[in-house]
Amino acid sequence: MSDTIRVCAFADLSDGQCTLLDAKTAGWTDDIAVFRDGDRVYAINDTCTHEEASLSEGRLEDGVIECPQHQSRFDLQTGKVLAPPATVDTVAHLVDVRDGDVWLSPGTQPA
Amino acid sequence: MNTGVVVVAGAGMAAVSLAEALRTGGYPHSITLLGAEPGLPYDRPPLSKDLLRGARDPDDTTLHPQQWYAERGISLRSGRAVTDINADGATARLDDGTSIGGDVLVLATGGIARVLTPRVLTVDSGHPALHTLRTATDARRLRAALTPGVRLVVIGAGLIGAEVTASAVERGATVTLIDPGDLPLARAAGDEAAAKLHQRHAQAGVTVLQAHVEQLQPGTGRTLLVRLARDQVVEADVVLVGVGMLPACGLAEAAGLDVDDGVLVDDQYLTSHPRVYAIGDIARRRGPDGPQPRIEHWDNALRSAHIAAAAIAGIEPPPVRAPWFWSDRYDQHLETVGHPTPDAMLIRRSTADSEYVGLYLVDGRCTSAVTINRPLDARAAQRLIDERVPITAEQAADPSLTLRDVLKEARTVHNGH
Repeated sequence: MSDTIRVCAFADLSDGQCTLLDAKTAGWTDDIAVFRDGDRVYAINDTCTHEEASLSEGRLEDGVIECPQHQSRFDLQTGKVLAPPATVDTVAHLVDVRDGDVWLSPGTQPA
Repeated sequence: MNTGVVVVAGAGMAAVSLAEALRTGGYPHSITLLGAEPGLPYDRPPLSKDLLRGARDPDDTTLHPQQWYAERGISLRSGRAVTDINADGATARLDDGTSIGGDVLVLATGGIARVLTPRVLTVDSGHPALHTLRTATDARRLRAALTPGVRLVVIGAGLIGAEVTASAVERGATVTLIDPGDLPLARAAGDEAAAKLHQRHAQAGVTVLQAHVEQLQPGTGRTLLVRLARDQVVEADVVLVGVGMLPACGLAEAAGLDVDDGVLVDDQYLTSHPRVYAIGDIARRRGPDGPQPRIEHWDNALRSAHIAAAAIAGIEPPPVRAPWFWSDRYDQHLETVGHPTPDAMLIRRSTADSEYVGLYLVDGRCTSAVTINRPLDARAAQRLIDERVPITAEQAADPSLTLRDVLKEARTVHNGH
């Protein structure tokens, strides 16, 4: 799909934090939220599939993001919805850490 | 332990959540949902918001597609009302005369919209200008009536009334909102937040009247006349009556279960009959000092279903969480967590004018919170409450400290011990 984009240095993304890539930069239909949870990084569409809300502002725990607005929950690795009111899965993107940098492939499913 | 084939009267949020929780927990027995309304089960909160505003179609509010039920072996029978139940046999009879029997019966029949008394309502309850909002059918009918310039009178400024008012304003209706109280929602949200919410209507161009509706009379053509005290009359093309709901306890009552403004249940949502559970809007939990108030919120439909499912499947119940509800109107997102109690100390955190954060503290713990446009604070407060995190009045009021900081700090200290 799209090219691989350098998001930031891994060290600049502190544990439990998120950085947001706007749709234009990402070349994607939605902003993409990139999260760090411990040593892992995840990336999903930023807009909740339920109603207009930014998942980047949500609460991250054990690879799961909770929407700040209505507490829907999504698996960051697969994009699968885990708790309502959202009923529709979101899109997870391939993201990994190489040579100390975070690299994102918008539109490519994580392995 | 009662386990085995599960028959659920109802197919709303509570019913679907119960079935989902049972299957997620590996429950092996047959599960059947009996829905009185036609079509697939759907989510109700959008009915007064996105659906009325036209931002979403009714089909978009379905909880799950058809195949979701098939994949999980959940049998769904829609468009057939349960006419009566046999508690001993855990059996439900449908309006086509057929019966479905099981080992466990779950009542999740929700409620119906409360209507005006016959003394007030002098027109036929089927008058074309008269509306209530409870079902997707109600929402479709109301949406079709809310054309630009239409004169809408909303009776009752509670959650439904306020949300319909905001949605109708967005659709270009001319709205009059009538409520007998000077500060609707004050009990649930506190005076200050309630004032912020209620004042927003007038700012949006709504005519807000504090009055009792004395009578609803036929007007010219298809209009209605809403008669208030002191001979004040408001003419309406459309009237929405938003004066609360009544729990649909008829099945339980006829079967001889304990009913008192709700089907009385224990902590596991078991009714007075050992084979019958009741969840969602109709359930009323017994407490040490008598029955507790019923909870008519979405979150309670979900949580009560999860607790009952755990009891039926004989598995660990989910952790207890403080009750939560939200309401969206105009540019305001209200949330309350927990129940504000009279003995609590209210700490108002400093926010922008368009926002509000009130924390209720009892004995150095947060017991409840009310927020407007501060969802992150609501989430943090939920955890402060659920995890019984100590918080002082100074911390609660400190503008340099976010609630997340308080939470984080408490966890760090806690983990350090």
